[in-house]
Amino acid sequence: MSVDSLITDTATRLFEQHCTHSAIQQAEADGEAPGIWAAFAETGFPWISLPEEAGGSGGTLLDALEVLRLVGYHAAPIPAAETGMLGGWLLASAGLELPEGIVTVAPGTDTDSLTVDATGAVSGAVHMVPWGRAAERLAVIADGTIASIPLAGATVEPGTSLAGEPRDTLTFDSVAAETAPAPGGIDVEALRFRGALSRVALMAGAIEKMSRLTVSYTNEREQFGRPVARFQAVQQHLVWAAQDAALARMAAETAGRHAERDEDARFEIAAAKLVANQAATRATKACHQAHGAMGMTQEYELHHSSRRLWSWRSEYGGVREWSAWVGAAAVDAGADGLYPLITR
Amino acid sequence: MRFTPTELTADELALQTEVRSFLAEELPPGSHEPGLGMSARHDKDFSKKMAERGWVGMALPTEWGGSDRNAVDRFVVVEEMLRWGAPVGYHWVADRQTGNIILKFGTDEQKERFLPPICRAELGFSIGMSEPDSGSDLASVTTRAERDDGGWIVNGTKIWTSNAHTNDWFICLLRTAPLEPGGNKREGLSQMLIDLHNTDGLELSPIPFLNGEHHFNEVSFNDVFVPDENVVGQPGMGWNQNTTEMAYERGGPDRWLSPFSTVEQLLRELEGTELGPLAVELFGELTARWWGIRNLSLSVSRLIDAGEAPSVESSLVKEMGTRFEIEVIEKLVEFVDHELSPGSSSLFERLLAQCVLTGPGNTIRGGTIEILRSVAAKGLQGLPA
Repeated sequence: MSVDSLITDTATRLFEQHCTHSAIQQAEADGEAPGIWAAFAETGFPWISLPEEAGGSGGTLLDALEVLRLVGYHAAPIPAAETGMLGGWLLASAGLELPEGIVTVAPGTDTDSLTVDATGAVSGAVHMVPWGRAAERLAVIADGTIASIPLAGATVEPGTSLAGEPRDTLTFDSVAAETAPAPGGIDVEALRFRGALSRVALMAGAIEKMSRLTVSYTNEREQFGRPVARFQAVQQHLVWAAQDAALARMAAETAGRHAERDEDARFEIAAAKLVANQAATRATKACHQAHGAMGMTQEYELHHSSRRLWSWRSEYGGVREWSAWVGAAAVDAGADGLYPLITR
Repeated sequence: MRFTPTELTADELALQTEVRSFLAEELPPGSHEPGLGMSARHDKDFSKKMAERGWVGMALPTEWGGSDRNAVDRFVVVEEMLRWGAPVGYHWVADRQTGNIILKFGTDEQKERFLPPICRAELGFSIGMSEPDSGSDLASVTTRAERDDGGWIVNGTKIWTSNAHTNDWFICLLRTAPLEPGGNKREGLSQMLIDLHNTDGLELSPIPFLNGEHHFNEVSFNDVFVPDENVVGQPGMGWNQNTTEMAYERGGPDRWLSPFSTVEQLLRELEGTELGPLAVELFGELTARWWGIRNLSLSVSRLIDAGEAPSVESSLVKEMGTRFEIEVIEKLVEFVDHELSPGSSSLFERLLAQCVLTGPGNTIRGGTIEILRSVAAKGLQGLPA
């Protein structure tokens, strides 16, 4: 089970061309990046892993995760996960039409209050919705029903993540939605895990980029007459960032393999999100420290990675949520089952 | 640097099942005092039972008494033994590295002489590297071997030699050519095999370990004669051979499983009680992190089987794994939140007390984390390590 290198190569070329430092800066200033999205959508990448008969691009979940890893690596300011493996997945699984434009989903906050009445009319609000302002549809799962809600009828209150990416509040007042029954196994929990997996892939890419950037910067930057990478105290940061890059990518790919096989991959995804969240915290600290004041400016590209990591590490569950989930699994396994759980 | 995800094959899973059944039968929980990973008790009978199943020296070729299995097979056996706290101390070093070194650099006569008894768990090895003035800067060793008829005369002192008093032989790094001023100290070093208990002029004395146990030794050489047939590989090439040997020491389950038996025992002692969120989250975090590190470590073994020399990857895993071990111990101490008694009636508490008392060694033995960072950082920058 592996990813066709054509996907990696094509996506890499695309992002290298479009996600330049200035283009990402501009996207943050504008609150959207329609040009980057158009180029991305042109390739069919947003709909990878969704079946072709449902209007998707085909391919596997692992393919989709590889694209997300590269979205994270290049800090591409686009709702790739939302349109494909999250929102698109919900719609396709219920046989609802995939729109041509952006689909988004609500990651879920304590103050979300969306309700769908018997006629399919949606009311209430959802918060911190990625690219709500640019989306055509909001995909929602609740109480055995999947709804595709047109955003033309929503009130959008713009907000941002720590990375300056759109995270909007969407308010609906009796907006007519298309609904369909959710197939078995697709529920709020399933979306939560899938959302977590998408963030692990994004984080794996971002940490890897940050790690490489830091190795290269510290080899160019000279102080006391030599590259700062020659100092052991700086090398420590390089090593820690490289470890976290490896750890997050391994977590993403291992959890992805389990999920791809359509088995119950909840343990792997929960463990992966926890591990990646912590890796994001450690690696951003190490890479910022190694960059000194250079990393504290928006003129330099480190912040594209580090600020996204601070956003993604909390989205779809932080360390405590996933510690509690994995911990319950560990307690359930008991002392004799603990190592078999880790090696399952 | 690339860690490729990998999973155990059907054969490897069958081996895992076999090892688990063996352990459940030989050492059911409650029947033994688990060790802390590779700081395991020495039990020649237990080592013998493993050897009978082909699990000692298992990666060595069958013609020399091994089982011709690969690095991942060994990983599977070792991780089960260590997480169980099984008494693998006697054959540990010979199995992990000395056998490999003799296979790689030794003469056929040496292979015939040493490898079959290693695989039968009849020959336990120690490692003679450190000296009073030579730790991390290992190439600075000064214990010298001077040419004599048919061999070498050795004088000097090795220290912190683990288990020299319970093992049979040790493999020593010695200076066989004097270091000229301005010379390269990595040249002129050689590796020799020396009998710890039947060698004239060799004297062992205990150095008490942090927890009060006899683990370390000082080994002094007073005109010790080592015959030529006990020199491993080319005289003068000891540094390169030794570097190869160190690679076997890195990145395996022994670098991240030391406190596992302690955590498992905590869970066992808490079974049947209602756990608060603090305890649940503690188990959750540790479980997830073990899952992550194990996947990295397993992929290093797979790289070795693919014929690669993943020295950067294994240094990264060892540096990370041993720091994680220390974090586990710190988290457990915070969780317990009362003074630990090494003689406690709770097995968990006894184990945790030993974790605290021996833990600082985890990030030192087999190359300090500072040395590992230096090796790994050079690799990340594409520089010679």
